[in-house]
Amino acid sequence: MFRFNNFHSNAFLLIIVVLLVSSACKKKPVPDKVPAPTPYTITIPKGFPTNFVIPADNPMTVEGVKLGHYLYYDGRLSGKADEGKPQTCASCHVQSHSFENGVGRGVGTNGNLTHNVMLPHVNLLWNPGTFGWNGSVPSIEEDVKETVVSPTEFASTPEKVVSAIKAIPMYPPMFKAAFGTSEVTMDRIAKAIAQFVRTEISSDSKFDRYIRGEEQLTASERNGLVLFTTEEGADCFHCHGGVGNPLMTTNLFYNNAKDSVFNTNDDRYSVTGLTSDIGAYKATTLRNIELTGPYMHDGRFQTLDDVINFYSSGLVYSKYANPLMHKLNPPYGHGAELNPQQKADLKAFLLTLTDTTFTHNPKLANPF
Amino acid sequence: MNNNKITYTIALIFIAIAFTSSCKKPDPKPSPSNKGKLNLSMNIYWDNAPLQYDTLMYINAAGNHYLVNEVQFFISEVTIYKAGKAKVLNGWQKEHYFDSNISTTMQWPFADDIEVGTYDSLSFTFGFSNADNVSFMFVNPPESQMFWPEYLGGGYHYMKLNGKWRLPSGDLAGSDFHLGRGQIRDAVGNITGFVDNSFRVSLSNSAFTISSDATTNVPLIMDVKEWFENPNIIDLNVIGGAIMEVQSTQILAKENGWNVFRVK
Repeated sequence: MFRFNNFHSNAFLLIIVVLLVSSACKKKPVPDKVPAPTPYTITIPKGFPTNFVIPADNPMTVEGVKLGHYLYYDGRLSGKADEGKPQTCASCHVQSHSFENGVGRGVGTNGNLTHNVMLPHVNLLWNPGTFGWNGSVPSIEEDVKETVVSPTEFASTPEKVVSAIKAIPMYPPMFKAAFGTSEVTMDRIAKAIAQFVRTEISSDSKFDRYIRGEEQLTASERNGLVLFTTEEGADCFHCHGGVGNPLMTTNLFYNNAKDSVFNTNDDRYSVTGLTSDIGAYKATTLRNIELTGPYMHDGRFQTLDDVINFYSSGLVYSKYANPLMHKLNPPYGHGAELNPQQKADLKAFLLTLTDTTFTHNPKLANPF
Repeated sequence: MNNNKITYTIALIFIAIAFTSSCKKPDPKPSPSNKGKLNLSMNIYWDNAPLQYDTLMYINAAGNHYLVNEVQFFISEVTIYKAGKAKVLNGWQKEHYFDSNISTTMQWPFADDIEVGTYDSLSFTFGFSNADNVSFMFVNPPESQMFWPEYLGGGYHYMKLNGKWRLPSGDLAGSDFHLGRGQIRDAVGNITGFVDNSFRVSLSNSAFTISSDATTNVPLIMDVKEWFENPNIIDLNVIGGAIMEVQSTQILAKENGWNVFRVK
């Protein structure tokens, strides 16, 4: 049996003291003193959705947004600047065109055209995770990564991109500030750019100011709004929002009666497999619509007038047209049948959706 | 103090600690409350079977061959009745949005604590009453996408029932059977006022029992077929594909709506 005597108690005390002293003397590793990134606060414009999408693994920070802002505009992002092929997000997403290219299909580093026309980077904070014309891309982060390798866009590799960005002295410290270490990875590049894209918020068009009671519409613009939001008029609002949905899109997908034969390799059907999605593409936001032509997924209409004429009298019958295209009623009904004045009014309203505060916002402009 | 005494003392301390901790009184069982919860589950039917979407397999009372693409609607102000007393369930929200594209919306678990007992019946408002149908009360989709244009009265659609029917020509046409505030127009068509087209639905055979600390589910059916036949036979070839601005059709639909819901 163990006996507790003076020798034992002294030895016990000694062990404790040694342990305490030794642990106190242990060399503590010098912490890498990087201040935690500062949370970025998003201000929701009045009347806009309060629910928005920020991935849990990519919280918005001031430093992350700043890094993304630079990367968004840095032609070396393609990883092919040394080959004379610089390209970056802003090559096809131009601020003066609501971060769309304003000319139609994008042209990649190898001169290849994108399959469909560009989509604008506007209010993507509220995209529910269905990016692209058919909604196949689940996040902005994934979109950035796909852009890097797409043969019609950067046609590059993540390795080339990382190598190019890592070699630029200004970036490693910015990565350190945004993500805690100076390591440059494709994942971090995508995250930073996504953070910046989520700050591209448009909410100050004439129509926004009208909704807020700050500005009046002209008589023609008001008539256009009535046409926009009535079934007996042009009935645009079911897919493109309005006073109650200032995003000016439902972010949903519709077959809008453009064709009778469909490419089921790139439409919404190619994603969902639902027959109701055959020939369906995203209803794009109408914010800044005058700046983002040509129109439709394939850019078939050059001007807003072309688009209005299409919805007025050019609908094409197919059994796959969305039910909301109720103006399609063969053999006679091929559209809203607007007269010239109504077309002019509708266009006048569409022009109230242009947000020059957004297209001239210095916080979104080229930082170089 | 010799070593035996020390050992003995330590052992005693351990035993005392073990004893006191084992003698802690177990937590008393919570006594059952006199409250329970209610859940409404919505099922979309055509006649006596679950609706099959996007399939041109239905024929309505007017003989229209018809398919349903989607149905989205609000009900509000659910009221339960017991021995002549009524209670409106509005614990968290007075209204609920059902969307055939979003399965989670087809359940409405009420936040209200409801007294246990058997209730005689249940009723609700289809859509919203005028006082509750307020523009901008929803800013988030999908509810916000149900907005009803200000020019037509504002507020929100009570329902969007989107489908297609076969025209006499054999082609398909879109049917947007959308219900909401109606308009009063003068002789030349100018809007002079608005009409509350919402209506109360009182369900027969809707008795249910709330049990202590449990959730009672009351499964409801919306029978889409009924929108077109009882008591008013609605011919899509006559009303066309859009009815938001046709108050006469809104009234027909409203009258049919009284018979659209039942307990499963």
